[in-house]
Amino acid sequence: MRSPCSLKQEFLKKWIMGIQRCNFSKKKLSILERKKAIKLSADVAMASLRNGTTCWSRALIAKAVNQGNDEKHDLVQQMVKKAPIRSVSCNKRMMRSKKILKRSCGVRRRKCAAQASTRPSSIAKRLVRKRTRILKSLIPGGEFMNEASLIEETLDYILSLRAQVDVMRSLAIASENQS
Amino acid sequence: MSSRRSRQSSATVSRISDDQIIELVSKLRQLLPEIRNRRSDKVSASKVLQETCNYIRSLHREVDDLSERLSQLLATIDADSAEAAIIRSLIM
Repeated sequence: MRSPCSLKQEFLKKWIMGIQRCNFSKKKLSILERKKAIKLSADVAMASLRNGTTCWSRALIAKAVNQGNDEKHDLVQQMVKKAPIRSVSCNKRMMRSKKILKRSCGVRRRKCAAQASTRPSSIAKRLVRKRTRILKSLIPGGEFMNEASLIEETLDYILSLRAQVDVMRSLAIASENQS
Repeated sequence: MSSRRSRQSSATVSRISDDQIIELVSKLRQLLPEIRNRRSDKVSASKVLQETCNYIRSLHREVDDLSERLSQLLATIDADSAEAAIIRSLIM
């Protein structure tokens, strides 16, 4: 596990490289457009540090590639050395097969739920299921993970997010102090 | 207990087992300030998940706020100061 310090340094390097490629000084961007570019560079930099080893980082890069225009597409490509764009089609296949599986299990689940809805253990289980679903919606690519890998991905995602927030905060504070 | 039963079930019906929850709690305890301050033994799975979701949401919000702040800073930075030149050379 990389130390948080080196994680932050590598994130800072990649993030600044991404922002430089946005060419802020040459264009007249609105504050919102600049903010989106800063955020996109930060997210892609954070995800590329994992080199495609985690599901959330692959999903985050795939999302950045899919939602941007051609210019942003080039930016993402340059920031990520490998090209994990093929993972988008893999995830779509996984999603389709999960939907089929869910549809076939649905009838069985509804029958069981009617019998056991008032026991405290089932209430607790329902809460865990509901909150697991919420967690899956928060982690990029979470809907494709089974519950075992969801926990590992969550931990890694939180660590990366914290490094990202720490670096961004330091830069913001440093910039505010200078001006 | 149903949690024991779930460990024997097939891989396609994988619920979070007790062992995984214990592992998650011990790791998350170091990350989440709220759980760290409470008593260590009785933390339920749903509470851990709830705190995790809240924490991730607050981190997302912070990234958003910081991006906004940095975007405004780049717009209003004093054009002539020496520090502005350093920052500009860093990110522009």
